[in-house]
Amino acid sequence: MDVSAQLEAQKSKFKSINVEKQVPLQFDLGLLASFDTNALEENKLKTETDNYLKTYTRDGTQLLINEIFQLPLTSVQDVGVVVELPKIVTAIPREKPLPKPNPPTRWERFAKIKGIKKNKKSKLIYDEEKGEWVPRWGYKGANDDGSNEWLVPVPDNADPFEDQFTKLREAKKVRISKNEARRRRNMDEAETGETQKLENKSKAGAKALKKTELHQQISVAKTSTASLGKFDKPIKGEPSNTKGVKRKFEPNIGDIQKEKEARLNILNKIIDKKGEVLNVRKAIAKNHQEN
Amino acid sequence: TLVYVNVLNIEIILSELKNNDNVKNNVRKPKNARTKRILKKREPKVEENVKTAIFVRGSTTSQVVNDALSDLCRLRRTNSINFTKKNNIHPFDDDTSLNFYCSKNDASLFVIGSHSKKRPHNLVFGRMFDGQLLDMIEVGIEKAITMSEIKSQKCSVGMKPLFIFNGDLFETSQVHKTFKNMMLDFFRGQNLESINISGLEYVISITATGSIVDSDSTASSTSDGKIFFRVYTIQMTKSGQKAPRIELEEMGPSYDFKLRRTKFAKEEVYKIATKVPKTLKPKKVKNIDVNEIGDKVGHIHVGRQDLGKLQTRKMKGLKRMTEDDQTEDWSRKKRKS
Repeated sequence: MDVSAQLEAQKSKFKSINVEKQVPLQFDLGLLASFDTNALEENKLKTETDNYLKTYTRDGTQLLINEIFQLPLTSVQDVGVVVELPKIVTAIPREKPLPKPNPPTRWERFAKIKGIKKNKKSKLIYDEEKGEWVPRWGYKGANDDGSNEWLVPVPDNADPFEDQFTKLREAKKVRISKNEARRRRNMDEAETGETQKLENKSKAGAKALKKTELHQQISVAKTSTASLGKFDKPIKGEPSNTKGVKRKFEPNIGDIQKEKEARLNILNKIIDKKGEVLNVRKAIAKNHQEN
Repeated sequence: TLVYVNVLNIEIILSELKNNDNVKNNVRKPKNARTKRILKKREPKVEENVKTAIFVRGSTTSQVVNDALSDLCRLRRTNSINFTKKNNIHPFDDDTSLNFYCSKNDASLFVIGSHSKKRPHNLVFGRMFDGQLLDMIEVGIEKAITMSEIKSQKCSVGMKPLFIFNGDLFETSQVHKTFKNMMLDFFRGQNLESINISGLEYVISITATGSIVDSDSTASSTSDGKIFFRVYTIQMTKSGQKAPRIELEEMGPSYDFKLRRTKFAKEEVYKIATKVPKTLKPKKVKNIDVNEIGDKVGHIHVGRQDLGKLQTRKMKGLKRMTEDDQTEDWSRKKRKS
């Protein structure tokens, strides 16, 4: 059965969605944008700007919509037809730089070395007493610390006149303050940088490193003068740094004999070996090597 | 144990005295949960919030500029802050006050409108990165029609627009490329993974004409170049096919811009700003390709096989035997029988 004629008739009822363009459009569907590099008709633009722009934009939008409708469509209940957009292609600058990942805390470092993995705990646990699911911690939670106990048995080795309730409360306070101290320590370590602590396992090591660093800086500062720190006032107990010797030049007008001797010495060094200026054997070998 | 507890308490007290937690790095530590949430929202994140824009008036403005600022603010209804009072602000000369306004309002986009004899009906579009000015473009409004002048149905608030950029200048000219990027940044709205078809309500069309004189000139680079900014609402009608037939109706403000000064972003800063974190990069699926016919093809890597040790069907008759084996075999057979 040939339905093509009927299809054509049906199609002609509606307006076309096809658009002819010389240069195909570029799309960035993540941004719902299309970029048209075709040449515009300048005279039309000058004479009937708005109408021309409207028709031109209509063509461009038609192509963009056609492109969007080619993406995967799903119909969601109560909402309608939803189209899934791809990722954005054009590079648009961010407003803030990327966040730096936090340096690992002491526990995290330890866990990494030991290979301890975090077990995801559920927020609610079943409380046997109450017979219902309560939060593990927090408000109306099944806290295990015993500070809300109504009855506390006195242990065998404890003082019978000791107040067990206050003991539990004090213990909780100590735990809280310890936790707070650890949190502070973690924050400080994150600020100052872990690397120092990692390199020096002990406090003495850290001190020593600081000391050597300081010495280096002092020596650098000392020798950063024109006379390489030679004429600075020496400080008691400080080891004198003999690094950095300046070049010494002979005076222009001096003893002629001494100058003559010095020059002849240099010459003798060159012609030292039995009057030969050129070591023929070595020269041949080198020439051979180069070629 | 009593002594131990005392020592620990002293340490804690000393550490508390050392740190004044309330003011660290000139940022006040939040005193309650509400302010903590606000500060956390302003922190740098991997996936960022929608950019906030501020609309500022310069020391002198004209009616055209005022209307333009309010119209653009309406287009960007959410996440835009309109400054009502006039401020003495000259972005091309001094950007300290600009940095201050943007950091206070946690805004990274701005539009400054002003009017002077030298630069009539002036708008400066700009962006910030990391609290510092990134780039900005100055345009002059030559012809403007406000949203209220065009009597038509407007789109709903907060919709994501479609963009059309016409003209090859947007690919060739550096200024136009920056303008394109800035317009996309300004009006794109929220970053969505999927969008409802009925939410595609309006389209912003930006057309550039003129010729590039040369990219080095800091003055207006196009001789008689204009940028036409038009906003239309989309009407979708049946087309007998999957995609609908589109008809447009002019809705929003209509401007004819003329490019004036530009301040480009420094390359290194721009590079850092456009860096995509690894988590957001599209994941590369290794090994799977689609060949020309359209079949999905992949390699399966099997380990090296020792062909000598392969388990195959054993045919005893074909087994290679030596003479001794043969006689042994015969002798065994003899014994059996």
